[in-house]
Amino acid sequence: MSERQPEMQERRILGTELLWSFGVGVLVAATLSIIVFTALTMGINPPSNVERADPKTLHLSGEFAEHNLGTSVAADGSVTARIIATQFMFVPHCIAVPEGRPVTLRFAAPDVIHGILITGTNVNTMVVPGFVAQVHTQFTRSGDLLMPCHEYCGLGHSEMWATVQVVPERAFRPDGNGRVSCAQR
Amino acid sequence: MAREPDPRLQHSSAADSQSDVADEIDDAALAAVMEHVPLGAGVLAGTAVALLVLGYLLIYALVFIPRGTVG
Repeated sequence: MSERQPEMQERRILGTELLWSFGVGVLVAATLSIIVFTALTMGINPPSNVERADPKTLHLSGEFAEHNLGTSVAADGSVTARIIATQFMFVPHCIAVPEGRPVTLRFAAPDVIHGILITGTNVNTMVVPGFVAQVHTQFTRSGDLLMPCHEYCGLGHSEMWATVQVVPERAFRPDGNGRVSCAQR
Repeated sequence: MAREPDPRLQHSSAADSQSDVADEIDDAALAAVMEHVPLGAGVLAGTAVALLVLGYLLIYALVFIPRGTVG
């Protein structure tokens, strides 16, 4: 075996490693680019909202008082659904939202940490007492979607779920107060 | 083939099993093999990573994006 052979092998291995590092760098850059691209062009990004709500007085007054829960349509046409996640239920148990229109979902919890997801969509957030969890989304298909609590919150956790009723735009009719309830079936 | 343990000894030896005994490899043969190892490892690792990235892209394009916007 010549003296130069191990040196050449070392060099070849180094070249392979550098090539691999370059490939991995391209992959990481491509993945980050996809995330940034979808965030900028399609508005897809992790829900982020820092807004406080006093859990002790949640049900007594303000935005999350009982009469204000559920779906409401503001004068400018924006749709907002307000839901309380509590051991072991969602109030209200069903929310109606329009199909193909921007919707804002706002959650608050008076007791312990909960979490929600809506099946078949990318809606997924934690609901932490003391804060308002907010998610902007647009539902692409009509139908009933399941919204379970996905953060273990106690013995009744598995019974804690609600329904999101996505109705076609023409069937989404707010009442005189701008409120929309689930259709009885 | 495994060697019969010596009944006089209170412990077993690593050399009792043939699989625990190092192979006798001469340096030249090792160097000859090592010349091709980076390429084989690169192909194996490259294929594995390519499949992983393909899976990520398929799930991203066919599952994540159709599920709608969120923010």
